Amino acid sequence: MSRNVKLGILGLAAILLLYPLLFSGAFALNVGSAVLLAAISASAWNIVGGYAGQISVGHGMFFGVGAYLPLLIYQITGLPPLAGVPVGIALSIILAIIIGLPAFRLRGHYFSMATIAVAELIRIFTGTWEYVGAAIGLQGPAVGRGWWDLTFRDETPYYYIFLGVLAVVLYVTYELQRSRFGSYLRAIKSDERAASSLGVSVRMTKLKALVLSAIFTSIAGSLYSIKTGFVDPESGFGILVSVQMVIIAALGGAGSLFGPLVGAIILVSLQTATNTWFGGGGSGLTYILYGGIIVLIARYEPGGLYEYWQRISPRLWRSRRAA
Amino acid sequence: MLLEAKNVSRQFGAFFAVRDASLSIAQGEIVGLIGPNGAGKSTFFNCLAGDMPPSAGQVIFDGQDVTFAPPETHALAGIGRTFQLPATFEDMTVLENVMVGAYLRHPHRNAARDRAMEVLEITELKDLAMQRARTLGTPGRKRLEIARVLATSPRLMFLDEALAGLTPSEVQRAIGLVRRIHGMGITLVIVEHIMEVIMALTERVIVFNQGRVIAQGKPADVVKDTQVIEAYLGSGRRKRRA
Repeated sequence: MSRNVKLGILGLAAILLLYPLLFSGAFALNVGSAVLLAAISASAWNIVGGYAGQISVGHGMFFGVGAYLPLLIYQITGLPPLAGVPVGIALSIILAIIIGLPAFRLRGHYFSMATIAVAELIRIFTGTWEYVGAAIGLQGPAVGRGWWDLTFRDETPYYYIFLGVLAVVLYVTYELQRSRFGSYLRAIKSDERAASSLGVSVRMTKLKALVLSAIFTSIAGSLYSIKTGFVDPESGFGILVSVQMVIIAALGGAGSLFGPLVGAIILVSLQTATNTWFGGGGSGLTYILYGGIIVLIARYEPGGLYEYWQRISPRLWRSRRAA
Repeated sequence: MLLEAKNVSRQFGAFFAVRDASLSIAQGEIVGLIGPNGAGKSTFFNCLAGDMPPSAGQVIFDGQDVTFAPPETHALAGIGRTFQLPATFEDMTVLENVMVGAYLRHPHRNAARDRAMEVLEITELKDLAMQRARTLGTPGRKRLEIARVLATSPRLMFLDEALAGLTPSEVQRAIGLVRRIHGMGITLVIVEHIMEVIMALTERVIVFNQGRVIAQGKPADVVKDTQVIEAYLGSGRRKRRA
């Protein structure tokens, strides 16, 4: 890593750490933790969608499982929602293997469509299943019985929990990027046939990536439902949940370490802005925003902002030195 | 025998791309596989390299039956291959491309990196190590493909038209590289159109036509074989002469 990159990362980390001190209002903190949560799930998606190039548009299934389990465990047993997090992870791993084994026989668009189909099936099924609250969804403890319920009135603890989880996801991704596994993922993204001729077990490697990605996506879902204390089929398994991960990662740069974080900062800010300006009447605007971003990325910069930055930054440094 | 193919066939519907083809290759040989366009060379190649399971027959590598094994098993066993159309990993650097191959026998990053640098030295790509593969021209890509395979430490290498599309001086350079690889004790099977290359490099040639092996022997003898001449030029030539 060059010195400039290291300084950039340090700067970004400092801003993220100090953000609650700089903007102490509940609204600003809410936006901050929304950015972090979106960054966690998009970074998780990035492992299989970005590095391995397997565009899943059904990651909402893992997010939803992660979101439902803590509240389900709470409703059934009365245990703190936190106890449901590992159960959600375990179920997501099983789900990833069940989906991955057949779906990775498909390539490109067909894989994406298969993931959409499965996620939608799960959403519809959940919406009719009384045991998990059907269309109404599930609720967490209304009032925290102790810190372990993680129901804080203040936003700040959530912000730092999310930041900690994001740091873990990014660290794992960083290590992955430098390892044999990461190298194999990028090779698979580029040319599966060539990768397997060099000894890469393509389907196994993809499956491992999907499992790893599902684990973190599930954690993101759990964080979401524990914080809001509520989940229904739409907010857990909805197609927008899946699409948001794809768009955020693609906007910032799929297959780059910080792309999803940058994408989350931009997209969540934009969403918040449209919601504030147009209020409830602008709820459809999210779709227009997503559509617009897809068109812009596809037309001008398929590699996202990261690729754009890679292209212009050498020129920037040169012109600065020349000046 | 290092590699033995027994009565390998590959059918597409009713069409036999490869029919009852047999071949055996000894440790340390350089064998040329030639034949007119559409003779089934590439299909045969793919069957041997595990890219395509044969419809019938058997492929044995060093005593191990690899007929229906996937490509990655072939790589692990020590069979490497290049592709007719270079299949380099475009967004990765030259070094990263070669490291993908090196990781097969060196799971740790630093060891893989060292192995890759060693190979880049041999293939004269060291100066381009940090460039992305997509910035390379055809000769560079073909060289990179060879480097990537070399990094897997194969015992047998299939080169599928690794020299096609090169200028005469590049061909000479590539011949030098192939000789160096052979000098490292790696057995080579070369599919090639350029007879100059076949004559310069190989000790034995196998001629393929319409999915069958129609002749084999020393390159100088094979080019005089009437069946071979017919395969390339058609039987009309002999009739006209007669």
